[in-house]
Amino acid sequence: MPKHELILLKNMMQPGYTGSLPDYEKTGGYQALRATLGKTAPADVTATVRKSGLRGRGGAGFPTGVKWGFLPKDYHGPRYLCCNADESEPGTFKDRQLMERDPHQMLEGIVLACYAIGAESAYIYIRGELVLCSKILERAIDEARTAGYIGKNILGTGINVEVWVHRGAGAYICGEETALLESLEGKRGLPRIKPPFPATHGLYNKPTVVNNVETLANLPHILTRGADWFASIGSPPRSTGTRVFCVSGHVKRPGNYEVPMGVTFRELVYEHAGGMRSDKPMKAFIPGGASAPFLTPAHLDVKLDFESVAAAGSMLGSGGVTVMEEGTSMVWAALRLMEFFYHESCGKCSPCREGSSWLVQTMRRIMAKRGRMEDLETLSDLCKNIAGRTVCAFGDAEVAPIQGTLKYWREEYVALIREAEAANLVMPEPVARG
Amino acid sequence: MTFSEKYKDEIADILSRYPVKRSALIPLLYLAQRDHGHVSEAAMKEIAQLLGLTPPQVYETITFYTLFNLKPVGTFHIQVCRSLMCALVGSDTVLEWIKVKLGIGPGESTADGLFSLCLVECLAACGTGPMMQINDDYYERLTEEKLDRILYDLRSTGTSALKSGPFMWPEPVGSADRPSS
Amino acid sequence: MTPPTTQMVSLTIDGTKVQVPKGTLVIEAARRIGVMIPHFCYHPKLKPDANCRMCLVEIEKMPKLQTACSTPADEGMSVRTATTVVNDAHKSVLEFILANHPLDCPVCDQGGRCDLQDFSHQYTPTTSRFVEAKRIFQKDYFSPLIETQMNRCVQCLRCVRYCDEVMDVKALAPAGRGTMTEIKHFGPHPLDCEFCGGCVQICPVGAITSRLSMYEYRPWMLKRADTICGYCGDGCQITVQTKDNQLIEVNSAHGAGRNNGDLCARGFFGFHAAAHPERLTHPLLRRNGTLSQATWEEALEFVAERAGTIKAAHGGQSFGGLISGRCTNEELYLFQKFMRLVIGTNDIDSSARYGHMNSLYAMRRVQGTHRWTVGFDDIVAADVLLLVGTNITETNPITGLKVKEAVKKHGAALVTIEALEPCIEPVSNIANLSRRHLSVSTTHMNDAVLGLLKAIVEQNLVQPDLAQKQPVYLSALTNSLRQLSWETVRVVTGWGPDVYTEAAKTLAAGRQVVILAGQGLLRSERGYSASLNLLDVLLLLGKLDQPGCGFAPLAEENNDQGAVEMGAAAEFLPGPFDLTDREGRHRVASLWKAEPPPHRGASLVDMLDRAGAGILKGMFIVGENPVGSLPAHLRVDESLRKLDLLVCQELFLTETAALAHVVLPASSSMEKSGTFTNTEGHVQAVRPAIEPIGESRPDWEIFVALSYLMGTPLEYTESRDILKEIRNLIPGYGSLGPSPVPPKVDRTVVDRYLSGGYEHDLAARHKLNVPSARPDGILQLELVQSLFHSGKLSTRAKGLMQVEGTGTLRINPRDAARYGLQNGAWVRLSNAHGELTIPVKVLERVPQGQAWFPDHFGTEAMRLFHCAINPVTRTPSIRTTSVSVIKVA
Ligand SMILES: Cc1cc2nc3c(=O)[nH]c(=O)nc-3n(C[C@H](O)[C@H](O)[C@H](O)COP(=O)(O)O)c2cc1C
Ligand code: SF4
Ligand code: FES
Repeated sequence: MPKHELILLKNMMQPGYTGSLPDYEKTGGYQALRATLGKTAPADVTATVRKSGLRGRGGAGFPTGVKWGFLPKDYHGPRYLCCNADESEPGTFKDRQLMERDPHQMLEGIVLACYAIGAESAYIYIRGELVLCSKILERAIDEARTAGYIGKNILGTGINVEVWVHRGAGAYICGEETALLESLEGKRGLPRIKPPFPATHGLYNKPTVVNNVETLANLPHILTRGADWFASIGSPPRSTGTRVFCVSGHVKRPGNYEVPMGVTFRELVYEHAGGMRSDKPMKAFIPGGASAPFLTPAHLDVKLDFESVAAAGSMLGSGGVTVMEEGTSMVWAALRLMEFFYHESCGKCSPCREGSSWLVQTMRRIMAKRGRMEDLETLSDLCKNIAGRTVCAFGDAEVAPIQGTLKYWREEYVALIREAEAANLVMPEPVARG
Repeated sequence: MTFSEKYKDEIADILSRYPVKRSALIPLLYLAQRDHGHVSEAAMKEIAQLLGLTPPQVYETITFYTLFNLKPVGTFHIQVCRSLMCALVGSDTVLEWIKVKLGIGPGESTADGLFSLCLVECLAACGTGPMMQINDDYYERLTEEKLDRILYDLRSTGTSALKSGPFMWPEPVGSADRPSS
Repeated sequence: MTPPTTQMVSLTIDGTKVQVPKGTLVIEAARRIGVMIPHFCYHPKLKPDANCRMCLVEIEKMPKLQTACSTPADEGMSVRTATTVVNDAHKSVLEFILANHPLDCPVCDQGGRCDLQDFSHQYTPTTSRFVEAKRIFQKDYFSPLIETQMNRCVQCLRCVRYCDEVMDVKALAPAGRGTMTEIKHFGPHPLDCEFCGGCVQICPVGAITSRLSMYEYRPWMLKRADTICGYCGDGCQITVQTKDNQLIEVNSAHGAGRNNGDLCARGFFGFHAAAHPERLTHPLLRRNGTLSQATWEEALEFVAERAGTIKAAHGGQSFGGLISGRCTNEELYLFQKFMRLVIGTNDIDSSARYGHMNSLYAMRRVQGTHRWTVGFDDIVAADVLLLVGTNITETNPITGLKVKEAVKKHGAALVTIEALEPCIEPVSNIANLSRRHLSVSTTHMNDAVLGLLKAIVEQNLVQPDLAQKQPVYLSALTNSLRQLSWETVRVVTGWGPDVYTEAAKTLAAGRQVVILAGQGLLRSERGYSASLNLLDVLLLLGKLDQPGCGFAPLAEENNDQGAVEMGAAAEFLPGPFDLTDREGRHRVASLWKAEPPPHRGASLVDMLDRAGAGILKGMFIVGENPVGSLPAHLRVDESLRKLDLLVCQELFLTETAALAHVVLPASSSMEKSGTFTNTEGHVQAVRPAIEPIGESRPDWEIFVALSYLMGTPLEYTESRDILKEIRNLIPGYGSLGPSPVPPKVDRTVVDRYLSGGYEHDLAARHKLNVPSARPDGILQLELVQSLFHSGKLSTRAKGLMQVEGTGTLRINPRDAARYGLQNGAWVRLSNAHGELTIPVKVLERVPQGQAWFPDHFGTEAMRLFHCAINPVTRTPSIRTTSVSVIKVA
């Protein structure tokens, strides 16, 4: 049993809780909305959220209230909220649970966010594969609309918020907020050049906020219980509140665990997730989804907050923690992730597009014991040349697995290459330029 | 009857959600795929017309996304997650099972057109791998017995009770499916 | 609204300070001081996409390298483009781009002028670290004119972006994702689009190339000539590339000419017409009833002698001359001088008579100019544009691009009155960009303009000043327009007062308003009235004399405008001066040292009538084919057969030339020097790209030779000499610099018009055309212009014939359904004049109840048409007729 209070998963942990509107209302659902809409000025809602220290749970960890504050003040046309429910980062599966088990928690957050930023339309951009989830959301929206929480003139306040579910169609990159907007506009999901940022030129070129599911689900609680309450949880001042961590891989009890930010990886893995699944010790773990560089058991006492993980050379990212036991090939693991990134690169930027294909082929060759020592230098050069030179952060993400494993497990690469050299497989000559 | 006549109301409903028509593209492509199992060239043209787009604009969009089939697929389209997290807990083995049981590899369909198989990247079920999606449904924590039952169910009844319901893992205390610690 | 001021910012690039307007991109700012930043995806015509990442630079205070192509210059910015870090970044990006590139330069048509090749010589070592398998795309058949080689693609998407942003065609699709993205079109059939060649031109590598010139050359083997396209009035600058006197390809450099490097299918793929195997290569002389090869001496002496005899017997006035608006200014000038001075007649006309004359008369009458008072730049800068009867994409595609740029880039409000339905088809449709589109049949264009005028006066949108200064004009117009019933306007045009009011308000709210009129209006029976009425629109709104505002009628042929300015018309001397204008006559006479003939001559159709009546005995026809272009009921061939002397100067043996006594082979514009004057009045240099084909000679040389033989020598040794003489009459002609300086309205003419000059035909101009009901089964047949052709010349261009090789009857899907027709089905059209059997093409842009037939294949169809002549401008109108339609098996 958790030693701390659950916030986001609390309702769904109750036996028999179905996530229906009556269930949600019984636990105090939509009270934040009743107390806020028309009663607190939108700017004050934003101020509360800023004060709570809530940071985005989608990956980048940008302070939510600050982001809202970037919307133009003196602009009177339409504004939009997009809920980022694309959840495609390998290792991450929390948003799916938050939506399927307690959809109203997030919906209430959506309406509150719309109120704060002055949006009358919100789109939930959900990854296309989650068919059941989008049905659950549609049903919940219908319930909320019938009850007057969503739609025209919410609870008689004169405030209108329409919420629609918009299914993606299979593209990891559409989790990137500007690619999401392009996709929502019916186009190829290619990230846009920034600036301008969505806050001024977002959906249909109008001011737009994109927030993650978990970020939004926190809002009703912050508005009910106050910014100070939220800011006292976790490791203030920079990492407040709880996070739902998704633990996968070689552990006994994989799954979603909500813990205050700042607990250690050790606690998460060994206490919550039950420790390693067999008697093999841990070899490596990924702290924040596929885009975060691998760490080693030496990092188990790093705290699960934005700054500590960054200081350890990785990132908290999307909250996906993947654990690997001794005996797992790190080259293989990096290759698997690299194959993911190769599959998902949108192809806009040449370094990312060509680099991912180059990296994947080189990695496959090394794995197939046809590697050469020069490959290692090429690999790290390519990684260096991709990172920071692309339109979106995907470029940084795709090199993380290789950079991380090269850093800590270089000898595994070397061993594979030595085998290749021993077998003396002939490599093609370098291609001459035409 | 043309696509737009057949789904007149549904199309109107979809269009009503967006201030700019093109946003309805993906929803309409889904509708066409639901109707036909895949999105035909004729459907793309019709959708282009509905949205004031040229057919190449529809085509460039549809080919960016993996969930649309431009060619027919099996009645049951099996998609096995191959990403690292599932691979750590045995997705490669699942693939081998399916290959043996159905006699098809990725990209292939059974002769009766009932099953087709492909490999996909992470489907947000990493804690409950290995897993696969068949048409709209997720099947998680796969074992060989479970797979047999699923295939049997689908063949005989067209559906299987083993598909995932509203997702939560680990299940709360008191739930039957909670893993023992 | 006050015009936007351009704020300047100053920044430092590699230590050099530079000032640029705010919003200028760093890559552009750098270019200004000669710093070239390597790039692939950047193109000044396109919105930044920053996908190639080649243009990375260091910018002080920014942690990461930035793309110069997408970063706007900012005050105080410090940019470094030449550091090791930047150089390494360029190298590495290039290494990525080259990774999957096939390096097949030896067999690539781009080799020698390829950005990728150039940069890689600059940056990379000779061997690549890339030892993996290269990406290979399956080869797809793309189109008969355009070839793709996707393995070479660097995915900069310039082609796709151009096709969308500039052309509004959207025919290209980047299909797939990641490295496997390839540029495709839709469907299993070949690419179907406008074939502007823009994708070929804008591709920085050899991924998209022209099939017309595949593998024929290496760029450095080619000789190039910068000249002007000979097809339409837009007057695009083209670079013709040749090898051993063979035409290899045409392109147009970014920034070049009035077209700014953009071209249409005719310009890009139509250049082979000049080299068609059927070109006339020798003079032909009729002997014993048949035309046979002759020497130049024989042919010219024959002409001189026969003409001399006729002139002696019947006088100069028994001759007529007809010349094509495709000739150079020098030739047009010399032709009229030859006819007036050597022969002694004013019976002169050109193809400008077919419609251009209507707008010209109107401009002369109302604003005292014979030219636009605006230029292409004003169209781009306009905030409100009105298009009337232009079908601009197909007739004047490059002027169309200016309209598209105004709307798409600058948000101009477009109002269209067109016989066109908005729709998405492979050829773009200007009505799609319209804020207010009124689909109106060509027969009712004037009625729609009247609706607009009526709304302007009734809604009080008239410029207040005008009411004070010209109350009589205003009340005359108001009273006359009030007589029109909205009900009738609605019945004949299909639109009611609300729509006209909205359109009128849009126009009235504009700061820079340009009205473009095209063939649909200008060539209609009431083209003259409608032009006057459109000028009234500008007058009423107080826009006529405002900067950036004006009336812009579109010339069809490349030099229609020049034809009139050179005096190749019965009623005009060069200038153009009215034939009766004292000062004009005086200037011409003192230059020529002889008086031009005094009497107003006959124009096009009148001349042919006079030939039929035996009054004309001899005709010189230069590049015109009246037998093929005029309705059968005029019996042009019979009339011409009666002549004692018919001389044709031609590229091909046309229907008219076949009747001639002498046919003299002329050179095309690919083979000669001179100038053309485009639709906006810009005079541009024509330069030879190849030597004259066979024994053909430029038309002006033929006139000179004849003049010698006829005893009144016109002494010129090169076309420049003629231009010099033209400049004596029209100071500065053709030396106006890179862009035209449009004339201003002549206030005295405007005042004269306002104080009574409008009056005499007002009632006639303000009459609605109420047709008798058209019975069922009858369609309105329209002769139209196709994007892929221009006149009949283009039907000799093999590239264009691959896109559109035959004349098809274009009808609306609903009409097609009504007659049970599908694409390719055959129909018989008939009316009192005759019948015609042709295949059908179903197109949504054709309004219901109409059928379009492209003029270029029209010889057969001409028998169905009737010709109405405008009493003032003598313009023959032959655009519209009614036909009944039946399906044939
Ligand atoms: C390649 C890439 C993929 C991303 N995928 C997701 C995703 O699946 N879900 C998500 O919420 N954010 C994702 N993000 C982060 C979003 O761009 C964005 O930062 C986030 O939606 C903002 O919401 P937040 O501030 O509430 O975190 C992704 C970012 C990148 C660069
Ligand atoms: S970094 Fe990769 S995924 Fe991101 S925009 Fe560029 S090509 Fe697309
Ligand atoms: S030219 Fe700047 S990214 Fe391509």
